[in-house]
Amino acid sequence: MAVPKATSEKGSGADAPMNRRRMLTWLSSVGLAGSAVLSAFSNFVFIKPRATYGQPQRFNIGKPEEYPSGTRISLDERRVCIVREGDKFAAISTTCTHLGCIVGIADTGFACPCHGSRFDQDGNVTGGPAPKALPWYKVSLAPNGEVEVDKDSEVEPGSYLNV
Amino acid sequence: MSETTKAPTLWSSIREMPANVWHSVFRNPLPSDDYGRSSTSFTNFFLHIHPVKVNRNTLRPIYTLGLGLMSFFLFLILVVTGVLLMFYYVPSTTQAYDRMLDLRGTVAFGTFLRNMHRWSAHGMVGVVFLHMCRVFLTGSYKKPREFNWVLGVGLFLLTLFLSFTGYLLPWDQLAFWAITVGTAIAGYAPVIGQEVRFLLLGDATVGQEALLRFYVLHVAVLPLAMTLLIVLHFWRIRKDGGLSRPVEADEAETPAAPVTVSVRAVQMAKDKIYGLQGFVRGPFTKVGNTPDKTVYAWPNLIIAELFVFVLTLAVILTLSLLYDAPLEEPVSVLHPPNPAKAPWYFLGLQEMVSYSAFWGGVGIPTVFVILLLIAPYVDRAQKGVGKWFSRERLLANTIFLSFVITNIIFVIIGTFFRGANWEFVSPWK
Repeated sequence: MAVPKATSEKGSGADAPMNRRRMLTWLSSVGLAGSAVLSAFSNFVFIKPRATYGQPQRFNIGKPEEYPSGTRISLDERRVCIVREGDKFAAISTTCTHLGCIVGIADTGFACPCHGSRFDQDGNVTGGPAPKALPWYKVSLAPNGEVEVDKDSEVEPGSYLNV
Repeated sequence: MSETTKAPTLWSSIREMPANVWHSVFRNPLPSDDYGRSSTSFTNFFLHIHPVKVNRNTLRPIYTLGLGLMSFFLFLILVVTGVLLMFYYVPSTTQAYDRMLDLRGTVAFGTFLRNMHRWSAHGMVGVVFLHMCRVFLTGSYKKPREFNWVLGVGLFLLTLFLSFTGYLLPWDQLAFWAITVGTAIAGYAPVIGQEVRFLLLGDATVGQEALLRFYVLHVAVLPLAMTLLIVLHFWRIRKDGGLSRPVEADEAETPAAPVTVSVRAVQMAKDKIYGLQGFVRGPFTKVGNTPDKTVYAWPNLIIAELFVFVLTLAVILTLSLLYDAPLEEPVSVLHPPNPAKAPWYFLGLQEMVSYSAFWGGVGIPTVFVILLLIAPYVDRAQKGVGKWFSRERLLANTIFLSFVITNIIFVIIGTFFRGANWEFVSPWK
């Protein structure tokens, strides 16, 4: 179990002049560490999906006539609430801005079952821990006459589609 | 004598085969003297993690409470039951819940194995936490054990993450909404939060991708990371000089002990060739028969470990016979249960989240973990190591305990005092 004696200290001190061996050691260390970082990074690129398999963000919800004036219907599968007042259409998100539960329609607007956030009819926060108002989504009329909701584009609260 | 020198005949080979096979596997016979007891640790692969002799203080049940070993044995139970459950489980949103029902209805011992896995998982979160409390309250994280404490904090976080990923797999209402809430909390982390959440779920919401990802993390990635850290954790216990103990525990029992020489690697003379012992930290090999406070690991330590194992297994088996793991309704994306609660050990977090999502879910936990990680590098006084609630460590212990008790109070509030819409309710009604 003999331990080899330390080799000559020449050329390994911090202030030793850069010689060929030190230069090569330094370059290969940087190369190896760089490759390790790059492969770790490429793993993250790999596990980040480019296509998702969930529900489409843009969808049709049917003809305007199916929603009489005064309607407030929560399409839970789409996670939007369709509002019609007179001729005006709007789609308000029903995903709680707090922690992603589905808010339910309450007398005063919306209420979240998970942590007690409450919103008014227009989605503004009236109580609970939710940090911001429920977003409104762009609503338009598709060429086939159906109402189309696009969850990828948010609009100012209070902007309606007139039909 | 003449028989053994003779060339073995076929008959003698057959006759002696059982003994020969046994001795080829186990080189060391069951020890009957101190030399044999020393050899056990060297000659058996599974025992060589043990020291030859251990300090008596290490074996005091009241000092360690066996919590570290208990965590390890729970992990072993979880690996065995988990691998068995994998034979029947399918990580698919359309099949996972049916497989849960099959486990309950048609698979032999299915319910029992799932109970064992569930209760061991809950138990492990609790026991690992208690183990961390023990190490802190006895000041055992101090030099030279600072880095092993850091590894331990890593193991604690891995335990929580393993439990969290496993929570989704039954694909029932409890699972789905706990993970919806849990990953939304991750989304509140600044800058990387949304990215981390998307990487975890593989989609914008909890669905098939999330189930598959959680499954892979739960059965492959995290257990491997856990195994690696456990191995390092155990290895360092030995290299850091065994379990922590008060200074008195190392003193020789007779005052007139021979002088012991302390040799460290840094003190080596340049041109001298040293044997392995020259590198051993701390007192050099003891010369003569100094009466010290150590006992042989075989059988003292082995029996203590066996006792903890049997106790752990017995508790888990009893719980699994008495109580069934919960299985709620299948996932209904449209109808969140009211209230939607996270697993109990995250309810303290959820309670804090109900005041402020960022501070409760991200800010305070991050600060707590950072405090844990830097504790051994900030609190460096060597006094009071190896004693429970040492007077010298009053400040550190008070800070730590106030964190722990606050969290426990929040867990209790979240568990028992929160009802529909997360409103305050009384559990006694």
